[in-house]
Amino acid sequence: MDDLIQLVRAYQKTAELDERTQIAESIFRVVEPKMSFFVFNSVRPSAADDVLQIVLIGILKSLQKFSGGTDGEFLKWCHGVARHKIHDQYHAQKNERFQPLPPEEITELVDLSATVTPLATGERLDLAYAMKLLAESKPECVEYLLKHFITGLDYGEIAEELKVNYDAARMKIGRCLETVRELVA
Amino acid sequence: MPREPKQAEAALQKLGQRVRAGWAKKHPISERSLATVRTTVREVWEQQEKERRTKLFTPKIPPPPKKKGKDKDKGRGQEPEI
Repeated sequence: MDDLIQLVRAYQKTAELDERTQIAESIFRVVEPKMSFFVFNSVRPSAADDVLQIVLIGILKSLQKFSGGTDGEFLKWCHGVARHKIHDQYHAQKNERFQPLPPEEITELVDLSATVTPLATGERLDLAYAMKLLAESKPECVEYLLKHFITGLDYGEIAEELKVNYDAARMKIGRCLETVRELVA
Repeated sequence: MPREPKQAEAALQKLGQRVRAGWAKKHPISERSLATVRTTVREVWEQQEKERRTKLFTPKIPPPPKKKGKDKDKGRGQEPEI
């Protein structure tokens, strides 16, 4: 854990271009798939790759200023940069932004992950249960639950993204989860 | 009977981890993104080098001495008049 932050520190200290490029490539081999997941679930697919490039440039241009101390803080900071870039691109087209991941794609991604780390006993049942929770959720809850559990954003990040306060985001997710949990026996 | 709240939360978190891992497997960094990273690193580095050189070769001009006000500090540090 915290390998990423070591690379970020090394990048910030290195003055030599070739070395810096190598370190940046190592950082972005980890960060880029996370950012692409975030971007492709936030904007329409036809624009997503261009927005992703803008996000990567934004992260790199500010990388020297990043001062956090853990991988988690760094990824949270990257999500913040991505969120602002997406906002800049789409501030006038809010309704076009949210693109929920279709259930069949979720299943495909789970199966792909199992080729790297096989599913533990009983895990498939838990995953099927989680899929059912998402499928049965109220439409207004789906965005909150996907962003929190699937994209992996915390309450603060969701609050910032959806322009609500921290407690409102936390309570909404709690209520959505409680409602659908009682629905799915 | 519904599962416990913690179980529902844990199942969704597990699903999220699996989906993100599957995405990383399906979409490793693209050539386009790698090119963007290389180009931007070079641009940032060139900009920093330019700033460093400018700083290095700009002659240091000492700031003009501060002018004291005419009556400022009058009397301080002076011998008392007898």
